[in-house]
Amino acid sequence: MHPFEYALARDADQAVAVATADPHTSFLAGGTTQLDLMKDGVLQPGRLLDITRLPLKGITHTDTAIRVGALTTMEELAADPVVRDRLPFVREALLLGASTQLRNMATIGGNLLQRARCRYFRDPTVPACNKRNPGSGCAAIDGIQRMHAILGTSDHCIALHASDVAVPLTALDAVVHTQGADGTRSVPLTQFYLPPDDTPHVENVLQHGELITAVEIPLLPAAARSHYIKVRDRVSYEFALTSAGVAVLIENGLVQEARVALGGVGTIPWRAWDAEDVLRGAQATTEVFRSAAEAALAGARTLPGTAFKVDLAKRTLVRTLETVAGAQS
Amino acid sequence: MKHTETETRLSGQSPPEVPQVDITLTVNGISHSLQVDTRVTLLDALRDHLGLTGAKKGCDQGACGACTVMVDGRRVVSCLALAAQCQGREITTIEGLSTDGELHPMQAAFARHDAFQCGYCTPGQIISAVCLIEEGRAETEEDIREFMSGNLCRCGAYPNIRAAIRDVKAAVHDVKGES
Amino acid sequence: MTTLETGRTVGAGIDRVDAPLKVTGSAHYPNDFSLPGMVHAALVGSTVAAGRIRGIDVSRAEAAPGVLAVITHLTAPALERGPMTLLGGSPPAPMQDDRILHYGQHIAIVVAESAEQARHAARLVHVEYEAAKAVLDVDDPRAEIVENPWGLDTQRGDIAAGFAQADVVVEDTYTTPDNTNNPLGLMATLASWHGDALTVHDSTQWPHNVRTSLATIFKVPESGIRVLAPFVGGGFGAGLRVWSHVILTVMAARQVKRPVKLVLSRPEMFTSVGHRPNSVQQIKVGATRDGDLVAIEHHGMSSVAMEDDDYEPVSFGSVVAYACPNVLTRDRQARLNIPCPGSMRAPAEGQGNFALESAIDDVARAVGMDPLEFRLRNYADEHPLLGLPWSSKALRECYLEGAERFGWSRRTPEPGSMRDGRWLIGYGLAGVSYPFYQVPCQARASVRRDGSAYVRSAATDIGTGTYTVMTQLAAELLGLEVEQVRFDLGDSDMPYAPQAGGSGLTGALSNAVHTACRRLVQEFLDVVADDAASPLRGAMLDDVTVTDGRVHRIEDAAQGESYADILARHGLEELSADGRSTPPQSEDLGMALAGAFGAKFVEVRIDPALGLLRVARVVSAIDGGRILNEKTAASQIIGGTVGGISQAMFEETATDRGTGRIANATFGDYLMPVNADVPDMEVLFVGGPDRATAVGTKGVGEIGLVGLAAAIGNAVHHATGRRIRSLPITIDQLML
Repeated sequence: MHPFEYALARDADQAVAVATADPHTSFLAGGTTQLDLMKDGVLQPGRLLDITRLPLKGITHTDTAIRVGALTTMEELAADPVVRDRLPFVREALLLGASTQLRNMATIGGNLLQRARCRYFRDPTVPACNKRNPGSGCAAIDGIQRMHAILGTSDHCIALHASDVAVPLTALDAVVHTQGADGTRSVPLTQFYLPPDDTPHVENVLQHGELITAVEIPLLPAAARSHYIKVRDRVSYEFALTSAGVAVLIENGLVQEARVALGGVGTIPWRAWDAEDVLRGAQATTEVFRSAAEAALAGARTLPGTAFKVDLAKRTLVRTLETVAGAQS
Repeated sequence: MKHTETETRLSGQSPPEVPQVDITLTVNGISHSLQVDTRVTLLDALRDHLGLTGAKKGCDQGACGACTVMVDGRRVVSCLALAAQCQGREITTIEGLSTDGELHPMQAAFARHDAFQCGYCTPGQIISAVCLIEEGRAETEEDIREFMSGNLCRCGAYPNIRAAIRDVKAAVHDVKGES
Repeated sequence: MTTLETGRTVGAGIDRVDAPLKVTGSAHYPNDFSLPGMVHAALVGSTVAAGRIRGIDVSRAEAAPGVLAVITHLTAPALERGPMTLLGGSPPAPMQDDRILHYGQHIAIVVAESAEQARHAARLVHVEYEAAKAVLDVDDPRAEIVENPWGLDTQRGDIAAGFAQADVVVEDTYTTPDNTNNPLGLMATLASWHGDALTVHDSTQWPHNVRTSLATIFKVPESGIRVLAPFVGGGFGAGLRVWSHVILTVMAARQVKRPVKLVLSRPEMFTSVGHRPNSVQQIKVGATRDGDLVAIEHHGMSSVAMEDDDYEPVSFGSVVAYACPNVLTRDRQARLNIPCPGSMRAPAEGQGNFALESAIDDVARAVGMDPLEFRLRNYADEHPLLGLPWSSKALRECYLEGAERFGWSRRTPEPGSMRDGRWLIGYGLAGVSYPFYQVPCQARASVRRDGSAYVRSAATDIGTGTYTVMTQLAAELLGLEVEQVRFDLGDSDMPYAPQAGGSGLTGALSNAVHTACRRLVQEFLDVVADDAASPLRGAMLDDVTVTDGRVHRIEDAAQGESYADILARHGLEELSADGRSTPPQSEDLGMALAGAFGAKFVEVRIDPALGLLRVARVVSAIDGGRILNEKTAASQIIGGTVGGISQAMFEETATDRGTGRIANATFGDYLMPVNADVPDMEVLFVGGPDRATAVGTKGVGEIGLVGLAAAIGNAVHHATGRRIRSLPITIDQLML
């Protein structure tokens, strides 16, 4: 690791002011991405501002939403009774991510900001990485491709967004609350992430020094009957090859409401709008689910090493939809 | 000759230009005041500065669980925490699990069930297993498998690790049943 | 030869004697040691796979805080290459010139006051390369091919005539990828010089080899070098050789005149300490319609490093597996710009058995025979090459008892015919004939004035249970309780021991301990030979036995006395004796020396829509000769099985085509099974002590792994009708 100064943030205002003023200052929360990448030499901040003691922990509920403090850990969020009862796929996605040890450290704010798992990004000895070194190229495109994205890719980057919980949160139109130099703002998660295009190093709308303070998750009726399926080589403790988070409300065999997002396939957590359009108002049948899956993956761009993921992602989505529908029939 | 200039320095001390941080770590109930390079992880502080080498380094990337310790009662991977972040936290390591030379029931069960071979992942497995029961996640076989999956064992002792956990879990039930 | 008769202590599944240390975190592995004044090292690895170093700028690294030294090929002292060993040549001496032979090659070592400083400074070394086009693929026409590298190519019978007789011939290509040993313990070296004397803590499976090699490399007397490895965080072959990082740490310690510690990073573990090389295998098997094997032809191609050796005869296992009259095996290696491969748990056998036992299943099906029945029909009662009876072989019992326990008879032959809801079920099996391996070994046993015993040998216990089983064996042979015996190891100052590898240590060491303990009893008899006060006066070794710390006559237990009494009366503090074992020779015995045998039965479940593969059950029936401790031996088999599941379904070291960089050199990217991937499993030990040696153990460290890949592949075929010939078997191959 590059040497750095360590400081404890006093309060959110001070943290934002300090970080905004210094491009070499980074926030330190759970540390599971930040320190890992610093050890790899990918990140070299001159100063870490430890925000873990800020009062941004905890979950508050209203009738229509829950508000999750940014420093709430993944384990704490998964244990929340409202999440358990009304957002089952959020809980499933949380618990299918990482390991208990990491979930006890990783915060929800940090989870949303986790960096690509791409081994070309994470190894500074690889010269070509547009995300790490803009304009240098993309070694992954000619590299080992299996764990890379097929949706939202560009000629400049195919790195996957590997968060599980961001998948259901994207499906639910969760909102990210931030505090920055210009005050506070709220950004829907569907607009929070930026696909790589020709600027893969810009991953989201946050300004340097802007702090996520909370995530607000709507409590939709459909979400009470939701499900998250994660497909991977190992049974546990691995990033997704494909995943699907689905919240569907079915009445009299008809899909009344559908929220669908995919993981393991997108450069950002992938909201499957087209699939939702197919589903909404349609019969809850496997045939319709297959059409929805076709629509969801219609824009996939593959490389030889990722070609299998198109079919796998479709099957994952169909299975998730069938499971949810089965539970409601 | 560069090395002769520095030969008089004591091991572990760093030159002033490397940022340092003063911390007090409470480990197994004993507090220790240290000045360390800000880069020192909790794992390295335990191992290299406090001589508590029970927690092991298997990857230094948070991917193997060999460095698992408890911080404020929760299991974490100590390689991905800075020592500086643990100021004021209660840290429990494998060395703090047995009391007065008496093995913790989980340690005894690991020995009985041969739940290790080389033993390198064992301190992390045992801390994880103790927490697993505290978390209420040793109720089903499926839960034990899933929630012990953050601790790799390259020797492949997983079935015996589960047997040890089942054993301790059953004993906990027995005690509760009697009371 | 006096064979071990009784089984009072031996065989019992006692807890490991080192368990209390391991469960309390008190077992000290090489990187747990520190010394006063110790400093830390970090390595710089090449970022090209071939070419030359044009320039190397260490000025920034040298100027970084805490840095004591940066050594490169420009400043490194000349080193000898390590010696020839039992396992072949030593790796090339590091940093002797500007040539780059593989990605990750160590090209500089940085020493600093702290590990943080050393690692940081290592990143500041700037290297300019004159890169050459690397040879990275066994198919690359530029690759030098080494034919018949070990002289093991075999031909018996007439292979063409054999295939001419065959009613059914299957012929296919199987591939296995590079796998990386990845013991969980990061390999570490702590070196400390005192003049020409050197002490090294090292993650080695073979302390004596480290001693001998370092003496050669640094031109200092062997007697001044001490190598310590009381505990090692696994090895799986990675600790068999004296790799570059060990040499560089010792070199650095000599230069900075301080103890130096180096701990490899996990990515460095992929490029610095060997790996199982990939293989491309062509196998052709012919049988008559009655199910008699008439011809087996097996060609193996593996990769090897440019200027190093690796013993990897992947086809050789096909020579002795079956009673087939016509067999041809050929092995070749292609020299590539890769980190040097080395033995990884069940080297060669792990790859070769996958091809052979998959092909055998295909042939059995082609002739319409149950795969178990087919294997039994072609059972090799004699060693097929030597025509001699085996010193022991209970593979038939492995098949029959394993099948019974597994419920093989419930298998319906048609692929896809067994289901449980959406899950397709497959049963598969594989047979294993593991080769015999043993080399000389020594041990020393002492009994002290209080009647306790101390037995030692410079072996290692890499998790295999050596501490425990040798304690049991010595207790048995000296008539003591386990608690009265301390067995120690992991110190090159102890009597010579070979490597913990090749499933050969337990046999070699137990025979050495056997001899040492018998000689020690003889020592006691010698002391009282003319002692009128001793009831043992004049007794011969064969006349006595030992029980409860007493040596007594066999025909009259009252006629004897304790070790303690003998020592006290003669004013002796202790008596000691050395034991040596030499491997048995087939010619002397008129028997073919047998390694372990095994039959593996696997049930898989496959979700065909998502391609999910789960191993649901495994039964391993093993003939391991005499089992010294049922518990630790079963753990060896369970652990090997997990390694086999891992080979079958998870492990693949991926190399970037253009650059030769390992693309998945982390535990997040290189998959090995986690707890949830591994089912509970059954282990059966069948057969009895091997006849070739006194103790009759056969070593079970590797037999657990072999056969799983084929058994899983065969079960996958049974479940789906799809034959997977390329490991690992993954989701993308199984979506139906």
